Amino acid sequence: MAVYKRSYRPYSGETTPVWSRFLVLYRFSRRNLFRSKVQTVFFVICLFFPLLCLLGIYANSHLNAITFLSRSTGPFLDVNGRFFSIYLDVQAAFAFLLTAFIGPGLVSPDLANGALTLYLCRPLSRTEYVLGKISVLFITLSWMTWVPGLVLFFVQASISGWQWMWDNLWIAGAIVLGSLVWIAVLSLAALALSAWVRWRIVAGALLLGLFFFGAGFGRAINAVLRTQQGYLIDLSQLVSIIWHDLFRDAGEPPLSVSEAWIALLAFTSFCLYLLMRKIRANEVVR
Amino acid sequence: MNSLFWTQISAIVRIEMKKTFFAKRGLWIYLLALAPVALFFTHSMVEIHEHGARRQMVQKSARQLTERDLFSIGIGMSREDVIARLGEPPVSRTRNRRMRTGRHSSIIVPTEIMSYSDGNNELVLAVQNGAVTGIQKASGISLGQDSYVFAGVFQFFFLRLAIFFGCLGIFMNLFRGEMLDKSLHFYLLTPVRREILMIGKYLAGLLAATVIFSTSTALQFIALLLQFDAAVIAQYMDQNHGLAQMAAYLGVTVLACIGYGSIFLAAGLLFRNPIVPAAAVLIWEAANPVLPALLKKFSIIYYLKSLCPFEITLDPGMPPLFALLASNPEPISRYIAIFGLLAVSILVLLAASKRVRRLEINYSAD
Repeated sequence: MAVYKRSYRPYSGETTPVWSRFLVLYRFSRRNLFRSKVQTVFFVICLFFPLLCLLGIYANSHLNAITFLSRSTGPFLDVNGRFFSIYLDVQAAFAFLLTAFIGPGLVSPDLANGALTLYLCRPLSRTEYVLGKISVLFITLSWMTWVPGLVLFFVQASISGWQWMWDNLWIAGAIVLGSLVWIAVLSLAALALSAWVRWRIVAGALLLGLFFFGAGFGRAINAVLRTQQGYLIDLSQLVSIIWHDLFRDAGEPPLSVSEAWIALLAFTSFCLYLLMRKIRANEVVR
Repeated sequence: MNSLFWTQISAIVRIEMKKTFFAKRGLWIYLLALAPVALFFTHSMVEIHEHGARRQMVQKSARQLTERDLFSIGIGMSREDVIARLGEPPVSRTRNRRMRTGRHSSIIVPTEIMSYSDGNNELVLAVQNGAVTGIQKASGISLGQDSYVFAGVFQFFFLRLAIFFGCLGIFMNLFRGEMLDKSLHFYLLTPVRREILMIGKYLAGLLAATVIFSTSTALQFIALLLQFDAAVIAQYMDQNHGLAQMAAYLGVTVLACIGYGSIFLAAGLLFRNPIVPAAAVLIWEAANPVLPALLKKFSIIYYLKSLCPFEITLDPGMPPLFALLASNPEPISRYIAIFGLLAVSILVLLAASKRVRRLEINYSAD
């Protein structure tokens, strides 16, 4: 066909349903994610601890069959809220490191190279763009936090019986809700920094600094001003207080659970506000 | 030849100064340095306000009270007993408090809040139905206590986080920032030895880090002293080694910039992503107390902690793992610490100079 005969023709093929359009972004981002060998290896390393826990749960119920350990009375591991709380603590640390690697690279290249317009000129809203980018972190981090956590829970339930599962169903809820809170905080912080800093590697370092600096400065506030309110800027402590409540741990947390929820909601809302301010197809430069 | 090298170094330092001090990308470093200053300033303002309120209470008091008078009051004493011992309260207010008597019933109990002070300590009493039901005691902070708090914040926050991340931002930006801006090739095309370029950049970064963080240390110290009388400050400075402590903190700040600066300059040449070296160095520094004796000497915090004027005793309630990480089991002598830190920094810079000689630019990879 001659070039002059070519004209605009709208796409006439099958379109992705509106509700799942944001997952297109996830599909393409996931490919980039696992193209890096380092990130793939790190993701695999992140699954070692759940595997270790799984072996622990299995050994816990089958050790009596082994002669040299048969003297011990009762299980060597208490699979309860405390066990799953420790599991989540460890996986949360891995999730943080993985977010520091992959989070900053999600939005900053689109903004730095002016590619946002190319996304938004398609039938994809700003909200769907943000949702699509967040889903990359949400789904990836889910695979290493609450999904293996639930597998551990159901393995224990299958060993201990349905009565155990029924009595401890709240633990499953705590694993899912606790993980989702942490994932939401990490994802929004990473994307907001990625959108505002633009330099991918600087955004990663800032994410590291945000959590460590917040924790350190919060404790400095507590020491100098003789208060406990410094924990309000320590994101990991706030999440820890919520987990403390979800897993019904004994002991008095430094802040009330409602204060922790309010502080986290304020932080995530602020991140969302920052993100939505930057995610615009055209930017007017004066 | 030496004069040429010095001329080149000074030229590079001059060029880099603007980038290190006024770069938009580095503004957060100023916030990092000023955050503890704001904290100590707020603390001083709060203490000045509370001290003023206590002095007003003393002026309004029916009689001069001592610390022993204040601490002689206990729960359950009658209001008359309290007034017999301490006199009429200089500040008193009444509030109605709702108290539960059953599942669906409650009563309102009037509660009198009585405040007393001896000028330094404050006693707040809650009196219900003519008897003391609650006691709250608060004491003013002495300069000794505050200098101890300052030492804790300096060691555990300022050194380990603020200077650490500040140096990460300044020194990794020296080469990696030029890569991001795609401007490093201009330097490499000039007739300057790569080692000279590295030294020039390092000195520029060191100057910026030293000025920013030393100023912050001095301002923190000044902000801390704001709440005290001139006589107390003079006594602390002259007789209680205040000046020596301030000099020690400034010296430790400069040495920290030298040490962390050399490490992050080398890391900027070796790694594209700063998270990897930052996390690795952070873990290495935190794990210093549990390392074997030989490996300990290859960290910065090992030398810096030995130079700090105060040894911080750990909270007995601190989890054992944290206590292990925060401890410094065998402090070394001051001269060995300074020499050791400088030796480690020179070793790291020598390794970095080898790397910079083989440096190749691939902007597309960044």
